[in-house]
Amino acid sequence: MVPPSLFDRLTGRARANRPDHAVVVLHDVTKRYPNGKEALKDVDVVVPEGDFVFLVGPSGAGKSTLMKLLIRDELATEGVVVIDGFDLARIKRRQVPKIRRKIGIVFQDFKLLPRKTVWENVAFALEVTGTPRRQIRPAVDRVLALVGLTGQARQLPDQLSGGEQQRTAIARALVHDPRIIIADEPTGNLDPVISWEIIQLLLRINELGVTILMATHDAEVVTALRKRVIALEDGRVIRDETGATYHRED
Amino acid sequence: MIPFVLFSMRRAWQGFWRNALMSMAATLTMVLMLVLLAGFFILQNVLLASLSFVEQKVEVVAYVEQNATDDQVQTLISETQAMPQVASVEFISRDQALERFKATQAAQGREDLTQYLESNPLYASINVKLTDPSELETVTAALDQDPIVRNVLNITALVNRVLTVTDFVRTAGVAMVGIVGLIVLFIIVNTIRLAVVARAEEIEIMRLVGASDAFIRWPFVFEGALVGLLGALITLGLLYLGSEPLGRAMVGFFNVLPLELGSVGRDTVILVLGTGLGLGVLGSWLSVRTYLIR
Repeated sequence: MVPPSLFDRLTGRARANRPDHAVVVLHDVTKRYPNGKEALKDVDVVVPEGDFVFLVGPSGAGKSTLMKLLIRDELATEGVVVIDGFDLARIKRRQVPKIRRKIGIVFQDFKLLPRKTVWENVAFALEVTGTPRRQIRPAVDRVLALVGLTGQARQLPDQLSGGEQQRTAIARALVHDPRIIIADEPTGNLDPVISWEIIQLLLRINELGVTILMATHDAEVVTALRKRVIALEDGRVIRDETGATYHRED
Repeated sequence: MIPFVLFSMRRAWQGFWRNALMSMAATLTMVLMLVLLAGFFILQNVLLASLSFVEQKVEVVAYVEQNATDDQVQTLISETQAMPQVASVEFISRDQALERFKATQAAQGREDLTQYLESNPLYASINVKLTDPSELETVTAALDQDPIVRNVLNITALVNRVLTVTDFVRTAGVAMVGIVGLIVLFIIVNTIRLAVVARAEEIEIMRLVGASDAFIRWPFVFEGALVGLLGALITLGLLYLGSEPLGRAMVGFFNVLPLELGSVGRDTVILVLGTGLGLGVLGSWLSVRTYLIR
């Protein structure tokens, strides 16, 4: 069955014709680096379609490693990582790019190309994946409207505020119509007001049916939203509860 | 397929101009290296031409008995000419030998001693040019057998020494071009690598948004080809501009040597274009590879 596109979701035809299933499954995942360090140990996580998940924990707890496993930048030493039904250890190397198009990635440092305009940065994601040109224009215009950057389309990244740069990055992550957005500290470089704008945007995208997994240190945001929280410490999941706060409630 | 090639070429073109400084640095390095390589190549060819000129000077001189008849001499000449090792045969009569001797003496500013002679003491000779100087001994031995040959000037030792030197210079020349070629290879590949490394983030983003290896690799390969082609064309332009005055200077310098350099021009064009394009493509291919193997 063909999954509904972002356009379908925008027009309200979203969830009706699709059974719930997990977008991300990690089963008994252990990641040991060649130097012997165990970054993740016996991690079990299931993220159903449409979830909004905060990934919290101190630096070095394994958040980044977990995200690298999800985008298959690294392979798990033990256990199974499944994205949208594909076991990442079993897919062919040639198929990795196709899996990555199901995932939108957002970074703390935006990772925009400085010599390309906002519009070009977003279009770039489609161009380099071989999308026909006539499909690129409407797709880019649509996501720019969604993140509220239609007016800044012709500007270069360094002419934008931090929040606008991050919204550009989110637009780029969305343009492939991904099943899940993985955001690694997306508000880490932004002041609190702008951070809230970005969170609001992610919530809106989540309401459109896109699963969101966001790693963050922002206790205020996590506690205020009462979403699902997965806490990592020393490579293990020490807490996984819905409607939770940043710190354990005793 | 065609949209993909067009896409790659367009991206290569954009990549080249959006990183103009890096592209120019790579192109100029390419030009410098190609000029160096072409210079050594041309030098090597001049050297080879000079060596074969020296080797052409090797000839077998067989003196003919004074009582030999014209018929015998004619037979000897045609027999010698029929030998596969022989390039040409020249007959020097006794009178011609005397004339030449006089001319040499006069050229050296010496008194003409022949005027005190009552008769011509010189022998007629046949001077044999060889297709290959290493065949000297065979031809010498063959001529020595002939009854009308009085003696053959024995220059075997001298020729062997000349051959040792020319062989050495030839090998050294090839080795030199080889070494310069290797250096050029490393410098160009490294320069292109730098240009690619400067865009590591772009490659990283391409991977993360799900670009396939081909979509990442080919624009860079085309860009490398563009750098190579541009570098080669600039190099050929410089060589063309430089060939007129240089060539004139060389003709002046090598005045005495009628060198045969017929195909060097064409070979240089092929070498420069081939090396430029080849190394441009190879350099980018190798540089992008490091980012794709994961």
